[in-house]
Amino acid sequence: MVKYGIKDQKSIEKIAMDLCETILTDLTQGKRPTLQATKSSLDNAIYSPALGYLTPGPKKTVTELNVSSVKKMSRAIFVLDILLKNIRNGAVNTKRELYYICKGLLKQNPELKPLDFEDQPESDGIIDFLCEIIECYREELNCYANDRGGQTYSKCLIVTETLPNGKKAKIDLSKLGTSPFTPKNRPQNLALTATKKIEFCLVVESEGTANTLVSNGMTERYDCIVVGAQGVPSNSVRAWVKRIQEQVDVPIYFFGDLDAYTLQNIFRTLKAGSAASIIRNADFSAPEVKFLGVLPEDVKKYDLFSYDVKSNDASEVRSLKKAQDALENDPFFKSRRNRPLAKILEWLIENKKRCEQQAFFSVDANDPLALEKILVKKIREGSYI
Amino acid sequence: MTKNKANEKIVANSTAEYFAKNLQQVGFSSPIKAVLTTVKEAMDNALDACEEHGILPSIRVDIKKLGLGSLKNTDRISIKVLDNGPGIEEKYVPMVFGQYLASSKFGQGRPSRGQQGIGISAATTWALQTSAIGAKVTTKRENERKALRCIVVTDLKKNEGILKDKEKINWDSPHGTEVEFIIDGKIQMNGEGGLLTYLRGTILLNPHMTLTYHLTDMEPVTVERVIEEVPEIPKATPPHPHTMKLGEFLSYARLFSSHKTQDWLCKGFSRVSPNIAATLFKDSGLPKSLLEKKVNTLTNDEMKKLFQTIQDFEFQAPSTKSVMSLGEKALSLSVMRLGKVDYFSVVTRKPAICDFKPVQVEVAIARLFEKKSDGEDTSVQILRFANRVPLQFDKASCAIVKSISSVNWKSYSIKQTKGALPTGPYIIAVSVVSPFLKFKNASKETIDATDELVTEIRKALMKAGQDLSRHIKKEEKTQELENKIKHIEKFGPVLVNTLCRILGASEAKKKKAEEGIEKILGRDNLKTRQQLDEVEERLSVHLASRRDQFDTFMKEDEELHSRQEALLRAEEEILGTRHEEETSSRKEVSRKKKSSKKK
Repeated sequence: MVKYGIKDQKSIEKIAMDLCETILTDLTQGKRPTLQATKSSLDNAIYSPALGYLTPGPKKTVTELNVSSVKKMSRAIFVLDILLKNIRNGAVNTKRELYYICKGLLKQNPELKPLDFEDQPESDGIIDFLCEIIECYREELNCYANDRGGQTYSKCLIVTETLPNGKKAKIDLSKLGTSPFTPKNRPQNLALTATKKIEFCLVVESEGTANTLVSNGMTERYDCIVVGAQGVPSNSVRAWVKRIQEQVDVPIYFFGDLDAYTLQNIFRTLKAGSAASIIRNADFSAPEVKFLGVLPEDVKKYDLFSYDVKSNDASEVRSLKKAQDALENDPFFKSRRNRPLAKILEWLIENKKRCEQQAFFSVDANDPLALEKILVKKIREGSYI
Repeated sequence: MTKNKANEKIVANSTAEYFAKNLQQVGFSSPIKAVLTTVKEAMDNALDACEEHGILPSIRVDIKKLGLGSLKNTDRISIKVLDNGPGIEEKYVPMVFGQYLASSKFGQGRPSRGQQGIGISAATTWALQTSAIGAKVTTKRENERKALRCIVVTDLKKNEGILKDKEKINWDSPHGTEVEFIIDGKIQMNGEGGLLTYLRGTILLNPHMTLTYHLTDMEPVTVERVIEEVPEIPKATPPHPHTMKLGEFLSYARLFSSHKTQDWLCKGFSRVSPNIAATLFKDSGLPKSLLEKKVNTLTNDEMKKLFQTIQDFEFQAPSTKSVMSLGEKALSLSVMRLGKVDYFSVVTRKPAICDFKPVQVEVAIARLFEKKSDGEDTSVQILRFANRVPLQFDKASCAIVKSISSVNWKSYSIKQTKGALPTGPYIIAVSVVSPFLKFKNASKETIDATDELVTEIRKALMKAGQDLSRHIKKEEKTQELENKIKHIEKFGPVLVNTLCRILGASEAKKKKAEEGIEKILGRDNLKTRQQLDEVEERLSVHLASRRDQFDTFMKEDEELHSRQEALLRAEEEILGTRHEEETSSRKEVSRKKKSSKKK
């Protein structure tokens, strides 16, 4: 298993320079230089119940210099040059900004025109390739995604951020009023302190529903943390929840829709990471997160409105097909530890139903606090997986 | 027949009266079709006449607008077709141009263009109906000093042609026929009913023809012949016994009514010998003695029994000697006349039997240079030929178009939407020749799409497609390899320069790295170049073999031409001597006559 950890930028610079030196030396000797990178795919993903997240296997992709790979190699070295400059200057850029920086530099130098990128995914791919070679996170190269989600509400949490210049910034979430705290860029630089014993952390799939719960006073009545995931959790949300798991001794529960997409793409990514970002999962997944619902038994218990998956709804049909595939091939769902989660997938495939989290609002519709009460009850009664 | 209601009389109409009222059935259903059909019929007659007499056809077509037509939205158009054929004897001129169903080829099992004797007469009728002028004919045979010029009109009641304004004139050509029709119609140059489309198709399928055409105010165009041989028209063969329905069988029998029954069966049908005729009678329970009796003595019941027995009898398949083909050589040369042909493939199938009829299919697929830039999404141009006559209308239900649509052209690297015609800068020419070709209508615009015929055409198309596909794949491989070489040359220097800039490497190291990358990518480059050279060599050998073929064709033609010229010269010398001898002997005879009269 390959272990990735957060590297300091000096180490990253050294690795990058050594890599360039090796390639140049090989070229002077007329040898074909090779670039090795971890293979980021499901067939190289290992799920360890002890660790709780997907880890990279031993497979590597080897890119040897030849007619087909010379363009990719040239592009990789070109982008590496830009990233190294950013590290030295302390500049940061989003992926989209880097795309335009590349285009600008290429425009200035006609000799470099053959390297030009057609669109952003091409330059994103090169950045990911470099991260796999250097075995570091993109953020360590001062390249940030324009991450969304992670709006956090609590009356009992203080966040201390170590800034790049070494100074510290302290944010008391209880003093933010109705505004949430949103972790950006490097949640790994954040230290969390609970001002009192926190009962639970609730990660809600819909940021809107998270806001509703908080606006109705959930964080006033309960010593809790409420986080809005805003759909598929971004890297910063995953890292943030991981941070909460490590730094605050609090059980974490995920509340989302009952459908194949939520289970595979949202919950599983939050809990165990993904095969595509296999090198990041150690620091970007929260294996202790539990699935609070909507559970199949909730549909019956609370008589929740549910929908049949229509045969002409292409995306839902696709999700169920992927669910079938996941049961057969995804090491996460195949693991005995996650058998109860696999059973939910089986239930979804068999019944072809889905139920949104907002369906809970139909239970005792006159009570604006009904959802809050149900969720807290479920947590306290152990109605989760 | 018509019923006169006032007097309750039933009156029989003549064939001419019938067609005069129903000209739309024979190709005069619109002003555009009227012009095209008139040109077609005149040209068909000209080509057939030349071929039957072993003359290499030289044909001139002049079409011009004279003004507005008498019919709404039409023009008054003059259509003139001049040929160097054998000429027509005076007594036959009214029959050819003015009488319906008067034909020397009717019922013959020969793959000739015209067969029924309707077409040109219909053109005369249309001219009479629209301009009140019949067919203006000038014709001269080889042994005549002067040409006959006249106007042919049709007596519709009697179905007879009548000559008017007859005169003998001096004419430059040693022999030939010129016919002029003045009709109401509309000229369309391109597209389905286009004159140019028709002429182009005729040029393709008649490589032995020299054609000059002058259409309206365009410059005259001459397309020279590319072979110096008149195609051999196969001898007529009688129909196979299985090709007829009962009604046709009975009608056919009437043509032989005064012949002995055995003679009718053995001469009127192919694959029937006297022994087989005797067996047929035995199997049908008819007395053998009837074979010696005349056909018109057989009763209807006896005919029906005989017909049934024939249907159940296993005859040998019909002979394929009654079909003819251009041949791959002639078709190849002719294809090059279509324009700037980038590449083409030509297939001539062996004669086959389809629905008990001998059929021969030839296909040419040409890719044009000039059309490449028009975009790959336009449908291919289809040229259809039945017995060497271009078909231009009603293509949707034609056997040829159905065959083309049914082939999976994608497997031959030609674009195609499922079930539709392929697209791209191609011309697909399909020729079907058969003495008994079945059309869907009397105007002979669409070949009946029977399963067997469609299958036969498909086979030819697929073979032509395979040849073309092999060439296209070679081209694609060449392109791929060329791109690879360009790739190598672009990126190598970029990689080295960027690495050196990052590392701050010395110039010496940079140079070494450049040499190193040249070695590495140069090895790839060398391998790629070798592959490219191999492919280019294979491609050029392939193209050269085709060019060699042309050169061989051209050389053969030149040799043949020069041999023929030598023969002609020798003939002329001999004939010249004979002519002098004849002239002097005639003079001697006439002198003797004169002198005896005086006495």
